[in-house]
Amino acid sequence: MISAELTGIIIMLIGMYGLMTKENLIKLVLSVNVVSIGLVLFFIGTAYIEGGDVPILPRSTVVDPLPATLMLTTLVVDVAITSLALALVLKIRREEE
Amino acid sequence: MIPLLVAIPLLFAFIISLLPALGKQKLSKYLFLIGAFSPWLFISSIVQKLPLDEVVGGWKRISGIEVMVDSYSLPFLAAELLLFTFVAVYVYGDYYPKKSENKVYVILLLLHSGLLGAFISRDLFNYYIYMEIASVSSFALVAISREKGARKAAFRYALFSLLASYIFILAIGIIYLKTGYLNLLLIKENLVFSKEVNVALALAFSSLILKSGIFPLHFWLPDAHSKADAPISALLSGLVVKAPVYGMILLILTFPISTLMQNILIATAFLSIFFGIAMALIQKNSERLLAYHTVSQMGYVLLGIGLLNPLAAAYYAMAHSLFKGGLFLSVGTIAEHYGTRDLEKLSYRHSKFLVIAITLLSLAIGGVSPFIGAFGKFMLVKKIDGLLKYAFYAGGIGTLASFIKLNYYLLKRGEKIPFPLKKEMVSLSVGLLTLISGIYLYPHLQLVRDLSFIFIGFALFYVFKKLGFFEFHPSPPFPDTISGLGREINVYMLFLGAFLLFLLFNSL
Repeated sequence: MISAELTGIIIMLIGMYGLMTKENLIKLVLSVNVVSIGLVLFFIGTAYIEGGDVPILPRSTVVDPLPATLMLTTLVVDVAITSLALALVLKIRREEE
Repeated sequence: MIPLLVAIPLLFAFIISLLPALGKQKLSKYLFLIGAFSPWLFISSIVQKLPLDEVVGGWKRISGIEVMVDSYSLPFLAAELLLFTFVAVYVYGDYYPKKSENKVYVILLLLHSGLLGAFISRDLFNYYIYMEIASVSSFALVAISREKGARKAAFRYALFSLLASYIFILAIGIIYLKTGYLNLLLIKENLVFSKEVNVALALAFSSLILKSGIFPLHFWLPDAHSKADAPISALLSGLVVKAPVYGMILLILTFPISTLMQNILIATAFLSIFFGIAMALIQKNSERLLAYHTVSQMGYVLLGIGLLNPLAAAYYAMAHSLFKGGLFLSVGTIAEHYGTRDLEKLSYRHSKFLVIAITLLSLAIGGVSPFIGAFGKFMLVKKIDGLLKYAFYAGGIGTLASFIKLNYYLLKRGEKIPFPLKKEMVSLSVGLLTLISGIYLYPHLQLVRDLSFIFIGFALFYVFKKLGFFEFHPSPPFPDTISGLGREINVYMLFLGAFLLFLLFNSL
C-alpha cells in the first residue's frame, strides 16, 4: 500500500505542476496551497506508528506528536501568506484597470 | 538573556499594533525607536561571554529550543543591529505618511525580531519560523512602496519564497525522519549518513539559494529590491537575504558536504558573481543596478559556503550588509528626491556629504583596502588557489567598473535639489562605518594591488562605454500585464524545478 509520506510528496509535485502551467494568479496561489497540503500530509505520515494512539498519557504506543505541532505552525504561516498574496492579487487587478 | 534580544522588539511590535485602537497613534514612533534599539542593551553583556548558548525556558536540550551566539552568528547579529539602527533613524519621523506610519513600524519591528531570531537559532524548525517572520514582513514592506509594479514584485517574491520555504521544511522533515531531532547539536551527534540525508541537503540548499537570490534562482530579487522604498531596499538587500545564508552555515557546520556538492556550490557562486556584474553593467535604473550587485555579492557569500569556510561567508555577509545597505540608503535618497530612478537624470554633485558617502561605499563594495570589503575578500581568498583566484579578482574588477559607471553618471551636473541633512548624515555614517570597521578588522593597506585594480576598472569602463555597452537595453522578456506575470511565474518555476532536479540527481 502507498504510504502517507509518498502521497504527500506526490501532492506537492501536483502543486508544483500547477505553478508551472497555470497563468491565473489566484490559481497560482491555490497551487502553492496544494504544495502546503502535501507537506502537511508528509509530516503527519512521518509521525505515524502502526497501531499508534493519540499521544495523551497514559497510553503505551502513541504516534509522534512533534510533527503535528510543527505543522500547526506551518499552517498558520500558510494562512497568513495566502491572505497576503490574495490581497496583492486584488491590488494588482485594481492597478491594471 | 539571549531570547530577550528577540522578545522585546516582538513585544513592542504587538504594543504598537494596539495603539490605533487605544487612540494613541502619536506614540507609535517613540515606541518604535525603543523597540528597535532595545537589543543593544543586551548585546554588550552577551558579547563578553562568547560562545554563549542557552535553551529557552531552561528545559533540557532534547525537549527545548536552543539559541546560541558564537563567532558564526556574531557577524550577522552585528550587521543586523548596525544596519537596522541606521534604517530606524532614516525612517523615524515623517518618512511615511501619518496614515500608514503605524503599520509600517509594526512590520519593521517584526522584521527586526524575525532576523534576530533567525541569527541566534540552533534549531532547524525555529530557524525556519523566524526566517519566515522576516520574509512575510518583507513581502508586505515591498508591497507598500509607491513605485509602479511594486505589487507584482511583491507577489512574485511571496510566491517563490513561500514555495522555497515548503521545500526547506520538506528537507527538515526528512532530516527529522532520519535522525529524530531538530536541534543541530543533537543531529550532529546522532547522524548516520545516508542517501536520504543527502537528498534533504540538496532540497535545503536549493531552497536557501532561492531565498538568498543567487543566480540561477535570482529572478524575484531585482524587481523586489528595486521597487521597494530606499530604506526597505536597504533592509532587504542588506539583511533579509542574509537569513538563508545563516541557514546554509548551520547546514555546513552540522552535515558533511560531499565534494560534488561543494563543486556545484562553487560553480554556482562564480556564475552568480559574473552574471550579477554583467546585468548590473547594462542597467539604467539606479536601484536595479544595486539589486543586480546583490546577486553578484551573494555569489561571494555562497563561495564561502562552498569552500566550507563559514567564517568567511559570515564576515562577507556582514560586510555586504553594511555597504549595500548604505548604498541603497544613499542612492535611494537621491532617487527619491529627484522623483525618478533613471541614472541619466540623477546627480549628487551639489551634496558633498553624499559624494563622500557614495565614493566610500563604492570603494568598499569593490574590495579596496582598508575598507571592510577587503577584509571579507581576504577571508575568502585564503582557501582559493589556481585559476579560480584570477576569476575571483576579475569579479572584484568588474564590480569596480560597474561602480565607476554609477559614480560617472551621478557626477554629472544636474538639477540642484537639496537633500535633508538627516538622510545625508545617515548615508555618510554608514560609509564611514565601512571604513572604520575595515581598519579595525583588517588593518592592511595593499596600495599597489588596489590602485591597479581601480585603474583596470577605469579602463574596462572606458572600453565598455566606447563599445556602447551601456546603451544596450534588452527588452523585458515578459509583457507587463497580469497574464504576463502568470506566464513569467510559470517559466521561472520550470527553472526552479530544473535546478532542483539537477541538485537531486547529483546528490544521489
